[in-house]
Amino acid sequence: MSLLNTLILTPFLTALLILAIPGNYRFVIRCLALLGSGFTAVLGTVLFFRYAPGTPGYQFDESAIWVSSSILRLNYHVAVDGIAAGMLLVTALVGFAAVAVSWEIERQSKLFYLLLLMIIGGALGAFASLDLFFFYFFNELALVPTFIMIGVWGRGEERTYAAYKITLYLTAGALVGLTGLIALYSASGASSLDLLDLQRQVAKTPIAPAMQSFIFLCLVFGFGTLVGLWPFHSWAPQGYACAPTATAMLHAGILKKAGLFVLLRVAYPLLPDAVAQWSWILGVLCVGNLLYCGFVALRQRDLNLLIGNSSLAHMGFAFLGLASVNVIGITGTVLVMVSHALLAALSFALSGWLRHQTGTTDLGKMGGLLRRMPFIGTVLVLCFLAGCGVPGFANFAGELSVLFGAWNGLPVIVVAAAWAGLILGGVYMLRALRQILQGESREPLKGVLDAVGLWRQLPFALLAAGLLFFGIFPNVLVNRVKPAASAVVRLATTLTPAAPVKAAPTRTAAPAK
Amino acid sequence: MDAHAAQTAVAVASGAKYQDLAWMVLAIPLMTGIGTWFLLRRHQALTAGFNIAGVLLSFVLGVILLNLTGGSDLPTTPFHWLPLEGLDLTLGLLVDRLSALMTLVVTAVAALVMIYSTGYMKGDRSYSRFFCTLSLFVSSMLGIVLADNFVMLFIFWELVGVSSYLLIGFWYERPAAGDAAKKAFLTNRLGDFGFLLGILVVWGAAGTVNFTELAAKFHANPALLGPMAGVAGLLIFLGAMGKSAQFPLHVWLPDAMEGPTPVSALIHAATMVAAGVYMLCRVFFLYTVPPGWPTPLAFLGDLSAATIIACIGGFTALLAALIAVQQNDIKRILAYSTLSQLGYMVMAVGLGAHAGTPASAMFHLVTHAFFKAMLFLGAGSVIHACHHEQDIWKMGGLRQRMPVTFWTFVIGTAALAGLPPFSGFYSKDEILVTALEASPLLFGLAVLVACLTTFYMTRLVLVAFLGAPRSDPAGHAHESPRSMTWPLIALAVPSLGLAWTPVGSFLAAHFGGSGHAMAEATVAAPAAVGVLPMLENLAGGVNEAMFGPFNHNALAATMGLFAVILGGSLAWAAYGHATRDPLPKLLGGFGRTLRHKFYLDELYEGVFIPLHDLAGTLADWLDRWLLNGLVIRGAHGSVELIGRALRLAQTGNLQTYAFLFAAGLAVVAWFILR
Repeated sequence: MSLLNTLILTPFLTALLILAIPGNYRFVIRCLALLGSGFTAVLGTVLFFRYAPGTPGYQFDESAIWVSSSILRLNYHVAVDGIAAGMLLVTALVGFAAVAVSWEIERQSKLFYLLLLMIIGGALGAFASLDLFFFYFFNELALVPTFIMIGVWGRGEERTYAAYKITLYLTAGALVGLTGLIALYSASGASSLDLLDLQRQVAKTPIAPAMQSFIFLCLVFGFGTLVGLWPFHSWAPQGYACAPTATAMLHAGILKKAGLFVLLRVAYPLLPDAVAQWSWILGVLCVGNLLYCGFVALRQRDLNLLIGNSSLAHMGFAFLGLASVNVIGITGTVLVMVSHALLAALSFALSGWLRHQTGTTDLGKMGGLLRRMPFIGTVLVLCFLAGCGVPGFANFAGELSVLFGAWNGLPVIVVAAAWAGLILGGVYMLRALRQILQGESREPLKGVLDAVGLWRQLPFALLAAGLLFFGIFPNVLVNRVKPAASAVVRLATTLTPAAPVKAAPTRTAAPAK
Repeated sequence: MDAHAAQTAVAVASGAKYQDLAWMVLAIPLMTGIGTWFLLRRHQALTAGFNIAGVLLSFVLGVILLNLTGGSDLPTTPFHWLPLEGLDLTLGLLVDRLSALMTLVVTAVAALVMIYSTGYMKGDRSYSRFFCTLSLFVSSMLGIVLADNFVMLFIFWELVGVSSYLLIGFWYERPAAGDAAKKAFLTNRLGDFGFLLGILVVWGAAGTVNFTELAAKFHANPALLGPMAGVAGLLIFLGAMGKSAQFPLHVWLPDAMEGPTPVSALIHAATMVAAGVYMLCRVFFLYTVPPGWPTPLAFLGDLSAATIIACIGGFTALLAALIAVQQNDIKRILAYSTLSQLGYMVMAVGLGAHAGTPASAMFHLVTHAFFKAMLFLGAGSVIHACHHEQDIWKMGGLRQRMPVTFWTFVIGTAALAGLPPFSGFYSKDEILVTALEASPLLFGLAVLVACLTTFYMTRLVLVAFLGAPRSDPAGHAHESPRSMTWPLIALAVPSLGLAWTPVGSFLAAHFGGSGHAMAEATVAAPAAVGVLPMLENLAGGVNEAMFGPFNHNALAATMGLFAVILGGSLAWAAYGHATRDPLPKLLGGFGRTLRHKFYLDELYEGVFIPLHDLAGTLADWLDRWLLNGLVIRGAHGSVELIGRALRLAQTGNLQTYAFLFAAGLAVVAWFILR
């Protein structure tokens, strides 16, 4: 079996294996989950480094026809471009880290690991899929378990409300997004949902501009909600605050990015006229993410809410890169996606540890913890410095590229973004560090424990190392992403000739097989 | 761009070049810092030893580089850090006289400070962490010094900010240290915000961030930035304002004294805070362009960014010197003095734009680095001996008990005050000459500041070292260990004699400007560096070296000397035999204002921070009530309401269903039969 298929299937196969083991064998289940996700992480890394940088097009291409009828052909079609390569790598890494930090789960751990592996497999499948049906399927496969997990293993009194809210928001978003995808399919006149077919078809007969706008806005608002596009963001902080650590890591780190991914993969290349007409809307709304969510983060007294809001603020950079519609900006968006995946996962992992040890996420009740937990404290410093855009961490490279990319088109928004990243980010991150780590140690916190030993430290070290690696060598990622980003921009800026195509889209017959 | 790529390709093809040695200058401290942290941190002496050795090695490499540069730049192999489409952000080194000289200053001061720290930090539970972080700082600082483009400079600019954050908050369990670290980082961030935008403006207009390419472009077309010239200059300067603590972003530096004293000496006196001035010298080509402003700022007319910078620098120098007069904490006095001297340097850069060279600022930066580091280390020695007492009014009589500290401190004071033949006199004289030629008003201000400087430094020496001990710890103080006194003596040498070496002319030659007194005065062969030429120079022109300033611009030199004598005598009159500070009574309300640092901290804490918090509260409120409350709970509520309403119909009662069924039939029948 090919590398890519193995990568996608490993989590599912592990889940099947776990299904066969009795629920009270908790240690075996955990070991299996660790093994499966660990293997996935290795495969993801191998795939990333075996991906040949600097070459345009898709690699590791695999396809099989699943449904072939005269109306609709559904292909299982997976392939990797530079954007997907980066996302697959961080998905595999974050997946492993999420399994590794879940040692605290005691209740119904069999179901927990099953769902966790489903999320990992679903996310991997979504990032690898070229067929939109499979993309949507995998994406929902990854999303639905998160709702259950928040409800069952969630924390805090508000968890039912949070689970309810996140479900409502994301399902609504997914439906709007799906509307867009279906409209795209029917308007394009393609015979399958395969992205390459769609591209060919659209190149031949572009979609009418009005229809393009409808589809584009459906995709932006539908999948934007999944990313936390302002003002459809308010599910995120509370959802994460109530989610179990592993779910928050995967959701904030990975699943959110699927929304951006679909904009990059589908909306931008297929709807050039709509991009020209409507990309400003992302530029405007991203200010909401950057400044509004940044200001909200400033007020938070709860660590999880702070991280949740700051992660929304970081998404503002990704949207700004998209709004710039040039290769520098789009490359920056991908860098932000990859680096933020690691950052968000690491932040929630650390907050999970702190919560487990101190019993609270209230910043006011912490203090002086660096003395008690030197390892966790050090990683927390690294993580939050990365969060406020310090060079040497991957986030800086991404944010810098976005700022450079957007400067010539949207200078005013760049000013807002720089303020959000440098000043607001600095204020709330350093306030949190000051409150958590510095100052005198409090009496009730005397008994807290540091992460000791390889197994406890590994997930944190792995994610922090990823942040540092891509911060010091962003070229490794950029060289892979650049061709894909150039392709996206080339397609997104190839406008339909002045005379709009009036002819109703004709559906071509399925090729004879 | 093509030429650049070709050059790179050649470099790659021919493998590493000997100039790539320059990479080792910053790589070695980085590697020792990280390596000893992971491998040796349990062995404190080894950690310290390796880190000191690393910095010393960098110093040696720096000497080699300085000799290699001669007059021209050394091209090094760049690292393609972020090769974006059409914007290849590289990390590359620019080794020329300016950076090579600065490398020596940084590594020399750093090595001495680290040796001193082996004594000062003895017994601290985080001894190893201290040395590793210092090494990280040195590496980042050298990154700033050697950077060949704006983005790389910005990267390391941020990294020194981080190391400064970590070192100010070194004793993180002290609440004040944590607060000071945060304040320093955030105030710097305000400056960096402008800096980054400035870089973007310059890039947007010129299409490159590389210093050499930018300099060439500006040389070919000085009006390249057009109406954005002034804005770009000021935005870039904002970065320097943060790092070099210029008004109104100066508030972090005095608080930064919460860090260990060696940190104050290295980072917050000698090197990092000077990085702003260094950066301005590095991108000086931005400030010699014709002034231009966009329409909303058109009222500024012919006022150039450089003039504004000179005024801000001068104002900072005066403000800080005034505040220093009424401080009682030995480190804070020195911190305000650093602020004041940085203001001097910034003013010199601004005024230098008229003469076409910032050499006088850079010269003062170099001499200041040595004597100010020495003063801080001396203060550390005193604090160490007095059991962490920092109030000068609780010291006294330390002259006999700590002779080495005392005499080196006096040398530092003389150099800072600007007494001939100490190095500070010559560098300050250069600035005075620059000022006199450009702006008589700022010249007067500079002389006033020189007078105040002598006043507060003499006050410090008289109160802390002379007279009778005014507290128990001061009475039992004894001289610090040799690991601490030896670096003091080593720093006293350049404080005394640095100006006699060809540093001034070396810088003048680098900037190639005219009107540089030292350049014409002291040296015949400006490019010559090394021991022999230096000796020749010493032998041949001691007379000229000593009295050059008087021969060249007698007015400036005489005024400078007069200011020193005046300030010194006033301080002697006020504090010669004082046991209490007589000034508060004399100055009244003004004295109180000075002691409260013009209430600027209070102003910021009362305005700037609450404004942000207010915006935060507003956004949070919107989120909580409008989005969560109205929209979500609203949707939730209405769905639930409908559900409840529908449930009323589902009673489970057969009669009700039968009734509803009949009623439904009746309604349908009515519709059909109507």
